[in-house]
Amino acid sequence: MDTLLLARLQFATTTSIHFLFVVVTLGLVTLLVGMQTAWVLTGNPKWERLTRYWGQLYVINYVLGIATGIVMEFQFGLNWSGLSRYVGNVFGAPLAIETLVAFFLESTFLGMWIFGWHRLRKSVHLALLWGVAITAYASAFWIMVANSWLQNPVGYEVRDGIAHLTDFGALLTNPSLSMALGHVVSAALLVGGMLMAAVSAGHLIRRTPDFEFFRTSLRIGLVTAALAISMVQSFGFAQFDPVGSVQPTKFGGNGPESQALIAEWTTRFGPGDYTPPVLASVGLGFMILIGFTLGCVWLLLPLLFRDWIIRLRFPLWLILFALPLPFVAVILGWIAREVGRQPWVAYGLLPTEQAVSPVGAPLMLASLIGFSLLLGTLAVTNWVLLARHAMRGAADPALGRPPAAPSEPAHPEPALL
Amino acid sequence: MDLAWYALLGLFFAGYLVLAGYDYGVGLLLARGVGPAGRRETLTALGPFFLGNEVWLVAAMGILFGAFPLLEGELLAGCYPAVVGALVGVILVTVGVQLRSRPSDERIRARWDRVVMIGSALAALGWGVVLAAMWQGVPLGADGHVAGVTHLATPFAAAAGLAMVTLVAVHGAAFLALRLSAEAAAEAARTARRLVPVALTTVAVATVVGLLSARVRDTVQRPALAVLLPVLLVAALLAARAALTRRRPGLALVATGAALALPVVLVGAALWPYVLVSTTDPDASLAVADAAASTPTLRLLGWVALPLLPALLGFQAMCWWVFRGRTDGRAPVYW
Repeated sequence: MDTLLLARLQFATTTSIHFLFVVVTLGLVTLLVGMQTAWVLTGNPKWERLTRYWGQLYVINYVLGIATGIVMEFQFGLNWSGLSRYVGNVFGAPLAIETLVAFFLESTFLGMWIFGWHRLRKSVHLALLWGVAITAYASAFWIMVANSWLQNPVGYEVRDGIAHLTDFGALLTNPSLSMALGHVVSAALLVGGMLMAAVSAGHLIRRTPDFEFFRTSLRIGLVTAALAISMVQSFGFAQFDPVGSVQPTKFGGNGPESQALIAEWTTRFGPGDYTPPVLASVGLGFMILIGFTLGCVWLLLPLLFRDWIIRLRFPLWLILFALPLPFVAVILGWIAREVGRQPWVAYGLLPTEQAVSPVGAPLMLASLIGFSLLLGTLAVTNWVLLARHAMRGAADPALGRPPAAPSEPAHPEPALL
Repeated sequence: MDLAWYALLGLFFAGYLVLAGYDYGVGLLLARGVGPAGRRETLTALGPFFLGNEVWLVAAMGILFGAFPLLEGELLAGCYPAVVGALVGVILVTVGVQLRSRPSDERIRARWDRVVMIGSALAALGWGVVLAAMWQGVPLGADGHVAGVTHLATPFAAAAGLAMVTLVAVHGAAFLALRLSAEAAAEAARTARRLVPVALTTVAVATVVGLLSARVRDTVQRPALAVLLPVLLVAALLAARAALTRRRPGLALVATGAALALPVVLVGAALWPYVLVSTTDPDASLAVADAAASTPTLRLLGWVALPLLPALLGFQAMCWWVFRGRTDGRAPVYW
């Protein structure tokens, strides 16, 4: 195995795991903002309970988002030193801005939010969650600016083989940015909504005594998912036009435009295989299939009337079993976007083989195996913990527990029965 | 402009070592045999600061990538095993601290605590070796790439890594002496005082090995500053010990924090104008100015960072202020 393939596999593995957690982060935080705002405005304790329960799941999920995010950041330097060498002047800027504007503040706010219950004024505590959400969206924005630049490099000139920034505004108005950003953000909302609906469905199937709580959660989750899936579809199809014009080879190299582009690359970079692997188109196809399937969420909305959705029970099972679908779809969508960029790191500018670090294959293999095992194990552990906390119900989450309450176990067994 | 960004990079990396340094020190001190309740109290002391501390590393890496792309690629890829070791350590600590209290079984929690201990040791060791790699130079060739990774395997790198582990341990103990409730804090202060001679020994060993190493002597551009480092480290450690004896844990924490920031500041100053000195080809050494991004990029980042920096530091300061004081029964428990 050569270093390049190993480095690509490592990037794919790390990014996929990272993506599975950050979509949940972005989706749930949006819903949390709504719930905590409702609590502060109305003073209704129902909203506090909702915020604590879903907040607890959000915080557990966040752990792996941050851990894999750190690995992602280091991976550019560790495995792709050519990326920083040749295009770091341009590509590095949005990444640097992301860490300072978004990641740094997001974690600072989140630490204060977790420990700020019963300690900070309610409005300040709410403002912290708003801060977490805004910086999370800012994070998504800047990462997509950076990624869109790799899809369609703009605003630079090459001097002595190195790209220099000439027009930062062009990075922000990149045609491969706006629709993709909308697509990713609404996909995150879809995942958040589906997660909330599915967990609630699970509790309602088990005839939870906390009926009112999970009924509300189910309704919020389903309505969010329905609105989000329509946005996902619209932003998704709106991308075909810009992608077709700036990345004609993305989903196959047979059109006249892509043939012309491949001929141009052959003269500039020498002969080579400039069509991306078929995996990109396969990912796209299956993602669209899942997208249409999930569109059926709209059919469930009328059943919210008089709780038919709960009384009939089978819709609850449908929602529960549909939970993996949006996760599979986001991975497929990511494969379509990223594999479709091959064989380039920066489309038409920097081939992957020039960007990979000059480290030996054995070292890269050890790193790939090590990080895959580590992050894979942590991801599974995290999901197990998430599932357990989701199933435990909303009786007394550790998040936001009043300090005076007995710490553990939360509800001691009565001594006398 | 290069110098300003280099200083900012130094500020964030030193800030990371100072702040996350006590996270790792506290992580190591989970091994001190205080029982399940004591370990939870130890982590509650980190509480709200933990996430805000770790993220200084992310900011430092962002600045490294944005403002010094060439250095980012060569430093990280050139010190591959050390960086990966540190990174694995950082991940284990980040995940371990946040997840250890989610299961309610004490045995599982104890297992997670061991993960945090191992992670803390790895992170400190890894960053110590990376800093040592800068002090002893790297085999940077004329093609601009660092050749291989065996250049890391030196007695000096091992000694420096070990010294870093003991420095964070003292730092963590000083933090606990400041943060824990009175009785536990006195115990932590005793631990800190006992750890000071250990740290002094490892620093002395690293100094002697460094002075004996021809690579270190050739790499350092300003020997006076390099010799100043161990002197200042010893002074900081002794000051920390004196402050602990006088029941001034805050001062002690400042002193141990200075001991973690000094290696970063002085490696930057002692190698100036270079950042990576080549051991094989003197002409191939990477100067700070050559490692920096081109002017339009630095100017853009400057416009972003200038108004942002007060906000970043301000919100961190807000966190320190809101949650100041010793942890008592009313402190929120989550980790």
